[in-house]
Amino acid sequence: MNTRFMSGFALTLAAIVISFTPATPAQAEALTLTDIAGREVTLPETPGRIILGEGRMMYAIAAISDGNPFEHIVGWKDDLVQFDPDAFRKFETAFPADAERMINFGNPYAGDFSIEAVLEADADLVLLDSGNLFKAEETGLIEKLDKAGVPVVFIDFRRNATENTVPSLLILGRVLGEEKGAAAFIDFYIAEMKKVANVVDNIPAEERPLVVIENAAGWQPDFCCWSFGPYNYGRFVELAGGKNFASTLENAYSVTLSMEGVIDADPDHVIGTGANWAEAKPEVTSTLLGYEGDPAVNAEKIEALAARPGFAELRAVKDGNYHSIYHQFYNSPYHFVAIQQIAKWLYPDDFEDLDPQDTFNRLHDKFMPYEASGQFWLSAN
Amino acid sequence: MTQITESPTVGDIVATYRRRSLLRVALVAGAALALFITVLIDVITGPADLSFFRVAHVIFQPGVATPKEDVIIWDLRLPVAIMAVVVGAMLGVAGAEMQTILNNPLADPFTLGLSSAASFGAAVAIVLGWSVLPGIGALFVTVNAFAFAMVASMGLFLFTKLRGVSPEAMILVGIAMLFTFNALLAFLQYGASELQLAQLIFWQLGSLARATWAKVGICVVVLAVVLPYFLSKSWALTALRMGEDKAAALGVNVNGLRLMVLAGVSLLSAVAVSFVGAIAFVGLVGPHIARMIVGEDQRGFLPLSALAGALILSGTSIASKAITPGIVYPIGMITSLIGIPFFVSLILSQRKRHWQ
Repeated sequence: MNTRFMSGFALTLAAIVISFTPATPAQAEALTLTDIAGREVTLPETPGRIILGEGRMMYAIAAISDGNPFEHIVGWKDDLVQFDPDAFRKFETAFPADAERMINFGNPYAGDFSIEAVLEADADLVLLDSGNLFKAEETGLIEKLDKAGVPVVFIDFRRNATENTVPSLLILGRVLGEEKGAAAFIDFYIAEMKKVANVVDNIPAEERPLVVIENAAGWQPDFCCWSFGPYNYGRFVELAGGKNFASTLENAYSVTLSMEGVIDADPDHVIGTGANWAEAKPEVTSTLLGYEGDPAVNAEKIEALAARPGFAELRAVKDGNYHSIYHQFYNSPYHFVAIQQIAKWLYPDDFEDLDPQDTFNRLHDKFMPYEASGQFWLSAN
Repeated sequence: MTQITESPTVGDIVATYRRRSLLRVALVAGAALALFITVLIDVITGPADLSFFRVAHVIFQPGVATPKEDVIIWDLRLPVAIMAVVVGAMLGVAGAEMQTILNNPLADPFTLGLSSAASFGAAVAIVLGWSVLPGIGALFVTVNAFAFAMVASMGLFLFTKLRGVSPEAMILVGIAMLFTFNALLAFLQYGASELQLAQLIFWQLGSLARATWAKVGICVVVLAVVLPYFLSKSWALTALRMGEDKAAALGVNVNGLRLMVLAGVSLLSAVAVSFVGAIAFVGLVGPHIARMIVGEDQRGFLPLSALAGALILSGTSIASKAITPGIVYPIGMITSLIGIPFFVSLILSQRKRHWQ
């Protein structure tokens, strides 16, 4: 016992000593880490040419990078360009040459993500999101890349967003050589998360309001509703002190609700997610939230969403508790902003002094390579 | 040992015919009653706890409803319940006539690739954002699905015009289209995002949740045009089932009839799948159930196929709500589960071959 403690202590000491050794950039030193899928991965050296399985991983990379977040990135999937064009243009303005040189590798789980293209790009690491681990195994993508000598590391900001964000940031910090940036961002993340958790912990279960999350409200103009079980936005609601309706029905990531079930449940709040999908899908009726979100446009959009058949008669809608929030918080480490705003909607008195917009601005001032702008949430009248 | 049967008298024949007609009417009436009951159950069940009398009151006296009841019954439950009936009937009729003109027990809108064409059309809209008719807004997924299904059946139409209308050729071209569109669909699915995939799944497995009164209206109009036409051709279609040569000898223009019926069937299936997505099984099994009960005479077979299709889909609508109240399941995966036990029990209880 004692010796184990001592050896553990010695190891810790050694670790501290090592971490104080000045790091030389791009050192040829093997790096072994355990990724979010629980796989142990050894990188022969600090990677310098990384492919992102999702472009939206840039949200996290930009937040922890000191300087140019594109420095080690050679390509991505164009989901950021397609589904969050506002954020993409922010990156484009800040780093025009880098945004230009990004190679679109397409969907890593589809046929168009070719191993050849990965080798052609001379990549030395592929970052995938763990929500698709099963698919990656099924299609043999990991094996093929392994054979080609390109390691794969899984991170996750979506499936178990709140649980996996800190470990994912730690992993990103290590593979990008941005440990300091990651640590600083994690401190910020924890502090902001605790602002809500410390208050919500004291609220008894029976006093928690019932909340319906509508995933991508208006994506399908004639259909309601996709929701989240106790994952992602469903979990955000729970952490913000709400009772998530879909969690009471099914323990699944994605749950399809019936409108009648929603009406019968008589929720206290309905929260739809929205983003600027209008460029990729002009027929959407969603609120176009994001860095270019226009309050006047979104005010009209949210009124139309709240007036859809079935919604118009909901108590939540009549009481002014139909809200809309930026969809992409669901796949980014900034979800603490969403949790703060949801908490403020659910408990306006308890969180009177909490200012999520200020949190969002401070996030940008401290960590992001661009300024905050646009609109990220609103409520219907 | 030979047995000499006495030739029946005229009176016997007339009596037998009357009995058969009466039985046919009774069977159709019985099926209609069963359908009425399933629709009733469909309307009174749902996550919201509304009693039978309350529902009836709201339906017959809409003024008494609270806004909540009004939305639940008039906007949510009734369109879905009626859509299930109308679409089920459309698929049943489409399957029945496809089996008749192609003389093949496996023919239905699925086998001929019309459903997969519609699914592909929807996928083109969902994944690529391409619209056949630009600027029609929210309806463009539906319009795309319809356009692709019609193009597929027009392709079939043209092919049969070119090569002569042999049923084998039509079936084979249909199957070729089925595989082509499925392959194209798989291509699009590969590149789809999370939300697009979720949307596609509901298209491929079918859903009544998008039903509105306007869509119900369109379906009713199409059925009201096509079904009477088919009924008016009853005797010719019945003759066709006795064999092409016999039908021709009886004065039926076989090729002309095939093309007209194919056009009607295409319209029925294209409209149905473009509103509710691809629903397997109903168009195939509905007619078989009807055939086992009343035989080939189109005057009984056609209405009963429509009713059998409507019954299957109406039952499915009830089941899809009952699994977990508050959650919507795609109905395509339930149609088979509901229909198969009944279908298998019918096959097992039939002594004679029902397809000749």
